[in-house]
Amino acid sequence: MIGILTLLEDGIASLALAAMVVLPLAEILVRRLFGVGIPGSGPFVQHLTLWIGFLGAAIAAREGKLLSLATGTFIPPGRARDGATTFASAVAACMATILAWGAVQLVLSERETGSIIAAGVPTWVGQLALPIGFALIALRVAWRAGKSWPRRILGAAGIVAGMALIRYPGLLENRPAWPGLLVVLLAAAVGAPIFAILGGAAVLLFMSDGVTPATVLIETYSLSVSPTLPAIPLFTLAGFILAEGHASARLLRVFRAWFGWIPGGTAVVCAILCTFFTAFTGGSGVTILAVGGVLFPALLKEGYRDRFSLGLLTTSGSLGLLLPPSLPLILYAVVAQIPIEDLFIGGLLPGILLTAMIAAWGVREGTRFATTRYPFRANEAAAALWAAKWELAMPAVVLVAMFSGLATAVEASALTACYALLIQAVIHRDLSVRRDLLRVFVECVVVIGGVLVILGVAVGLTNYLVGAQLPAKLVSWVQGHIESRLAFLLALNVFLLIVGWLMEIFAAIVVVVPLIVPLGAAFGIHPVHLGIIFVANLELGFLTPLVGINIFLASYRFKRPVLDVCRAALPFMAILAIGVLVITYVPWLTTGLLAILRP
Amino acid sequence: MRTRSILALAAALVVVSAGAASAQSVPIKLASVVPENSIWDKNLKQMGAEWSQQTGGRVTLTVYGGGSQGDESTVLRKMRLDALQAAALTGVGLGSIDASFNVFNVPFFFESYDELNAVTEALTPAIAKRVEGKGFVFVNWGHGGWTQVFTKKPVKTVDDLKKAKLWTSAGNDRMVQWFKANGFEPRAMAMTDIMTGLTTGMVEAVPTTPLAALLFQWYKQTPNMLDIGLAPVVGATIVTRKAWNAIPAADRPKLLAAAAGVQKRLQDDVPRQETAAVAEMVRRGLVVSKASGPEWRKEVDALASTMRGEMVPKDMFDLALKARDAYRKQHPSQPVTAGK
Repeated sequence: MIGILTLLEDGIASLALAAMVVLPLAEILVRRLFGVGIPGSGPFVQHLTLWIGFLGAAIAAREGKLLSLATGTFIPPGRARDGATTFASAVAACMATILAWGAVQLVLSERETGSIIAAGVPTWVGQLALPIGFALIALRVAWRAGKSWPRRILGAAGIVAGMALIRYPGLLENRPAWPGLLVVLLAAAVGAPIFAILGGAAVLLFMSDGVTPATVLIETYSLSVSPTLPAIPLFTLAGFILAEGHASARLLRVFRAWFGWIPGGTAVVCAILCTFFTAFTGGSGVTILAVGGVLFPALLKEGYRDRFSLGLLTTSGSLGLLLPPSLPLILYAVVAQIPIEDLFIGGLLPGILLTAMIAAWGVREGTRFATTRYPFRANEAAAALWAAKWELAMPAVVLVAMFSGLATAVEASALTACYALLIQAVIHRDLSVRRDLLRVFVECVVVIGGVLVILGVAVGLTNYLVGAQLPAKLVSWVQGHIESRLAFLLALNVFLLIVGWLMEIFAAIVVVVPLIVPLGAAFGIHPVHLGIIFVANLELGFLTPLVGINIFLASYRFKRPVLDVCRAALPFMAILAIGVLVITYVPWLTTGLLAILRP
Repeated sequence: MRTRSILALAAALVVVSAGAASAQSVPIKLASVVPENSIWDKNLKQMGAEWSQQTGGRVTLTVYGGGSQGDESTVLRKMRLDALQAAALTGVGLGSIDASFNVFNVPFFFESYDELNAVTEALTPAIAKRVEGKGFVFVNWGHGGWTQVFTKKPVKTVDDLKKAKLWTSAGNDRMVQWFKANGFEPRAMAMTDIMTGLTTGMVEAVPTTPLAALLFQWYKQTPNMLDIGLAPVVGATIVTRKAWNAIPAADRPKLLAAAAGVQKRLQDDVPRQETAAVAEMVRRGLVVSKASGPEWRKEVDALASTMRGEMVPKDMFDLALKARDAYRKQHPSQPVTAGK
């Protein structure tokens, strides 16, 4: 019985993912052939992301794969550790219960408005993924509180506590939020999942202000259905499919043949490949998910240290954000009202600088640890190139699709996933559709869900900070305390680093840029330079220990504890920090080319 | 410096988590997608200052501009669950509350700002009543300017425009279907994706106001502006009925009076700024061409008539039509050119 339900859950999530690949492709085709697209194709794909995300999170909870900051392994095994696990689970179950209830409020309120997604499907039906997802998470987290019934009952007590807080909001309203936050922090320290920490904090802060926790879910919903978000699961799928077969071996052979003679050659290739990938996929993290799985085993095989490889790939995932056609740069130009072309030109040298610094660190690693070096042989180079031609063409597929105006970012990502499936299952026959496909889809859905549930509640917390006007307060403080330009730039670096981990990059740009721009002008900083400093700092923010998004994604993709990933990324973060300082204090890097090209 | 920043952050967090609104005042959080520090944002903040001053602090208004509380459907969701109490919305959000707001989107319905102002005034009581039925209180009108068509390639005829990939705002599937049914090639995208769309060629024509085209720099990708005066951009400020009822009854007229002042200022300032914006863009290379030929009018009038009943409730459409024609009768000297 349970087996059938499990299969059903996996099946629905996988079907949704498959539909996500098919719908955008059908849309391109129909649009080409008949001039008009499929009604509602875009909104449906966006809601499929929501379903995949929250069913995925529920499946992750079932498998005990919800991502945590700490594991509680520092507590001696036995009763103390068991108790800590039960406590963390109960807190998580409590928060998931409140979030599920908030989601029900959202659904009920939406139902009253009678809004539709498209083609007569009501919006509230689309939103059902949220209450279902969080309710399943609450039940499963409680179930996993322990292996014995008394401990499971204690876990379930968390659900009851959540219900009590819902029933009697006066317990929290107009009272300080810190006791609750302390409980959440304590649970975090002994291994509660991250969604429960961020979501719990958001829920408690809102409730202490007398605001419904449903606010968090409104934000979760609007993030989950944002138009370009579907590109993330689709690129992830492409990466999973590619990682399944022998594609990594074929690519490795090409790297070896062409760059293997350089010390640290493969590390250099990783940095460059990731840079390009991130530049055109725009979103950070996509790179780690899509190509990390291919590159990681390749690096290890060639004798790079595990920690170096992990750090390199975690970092490389954000390298290309300064190079065109990076989406954050475009959004910055729009919000700050400066020409996009100028920002693209301005970002060229700084972007190349950051990648070069990381590549140089790779060469150093290669020299120090005498990683495999391969003499260059023309025959082998040509043969390797031919063998990997399909995989190597993948970036071209994406770029051509996107820049010819043929496809949107989402459609291009669907095309990439489909292309990857085609070369792995049909051309190379590395992947059996009957045997492997469901498993690969479910693995992929679990990763997407684990990440989306965190991002989803994090925007709720962000919204609380925005509501409390924290960004604006910080800026006015800076204005009142700093006089010199150098001190301002340094303070700006620190501030943006904090912003980088507090906020999702696009929200950070939209909220903070209008506040920073007048400050920059007051201190005489070139508007393009300010933009590059801004995005470069947020890039660094992705690697901030414990909260940077790249850390989460790498932890998932490479199945490593978050703290291990943090430690591995630290030297790279230091290198990037130096790079960001250079970019900040050498304005010529940004404005030099600009002055030549736009006299 | 670093430690001080961090200390300040910690302090701010403490203040934030400890700060609860004082019991006497009615705190109103107002969200809007208008850009921070824009003319609209400044006027909203001015209105907030007046509200607080004239009620002796019994009403406090916090303005969240720049879309920091999310797009308009997100803002409306928050209002329905009382996480926000007010919003200054554009046509997208207003149309989702009540279809009668779509009357302002009917192409070529209005011929001048004066005519528009006369019709809005006549419609206000009926619209306020409809909005009230949806749980909101209508506060004032906002003026965004007049929509022109900005295109990559020069557009002369209606068929030229039908061939171009036309941006339309995401989240309004009915509008998309309407465009499709009438032979256009709509591309539904978020406003923030317009620039990317223009750069990659996913979009070739953007109907928008000169103010927005200058503000968001879209005109750099679309060197042609068809001066056609498609439709005005009309916004409105609304407050949730729940929050409104919490305000002492004696204070409500004061709030409405301050709001009316803001409305008047926007009515005067926006057309002036719009003329300046067009001049600025022309200076930077924008080519403005007048729509010529009668087929535009004929075609668009035919399109407009399909909106009655389908996009705009019939009674509201007719009410607006009556008010407009009454105005035209009183002001026969009005030149018959679209736009200004």
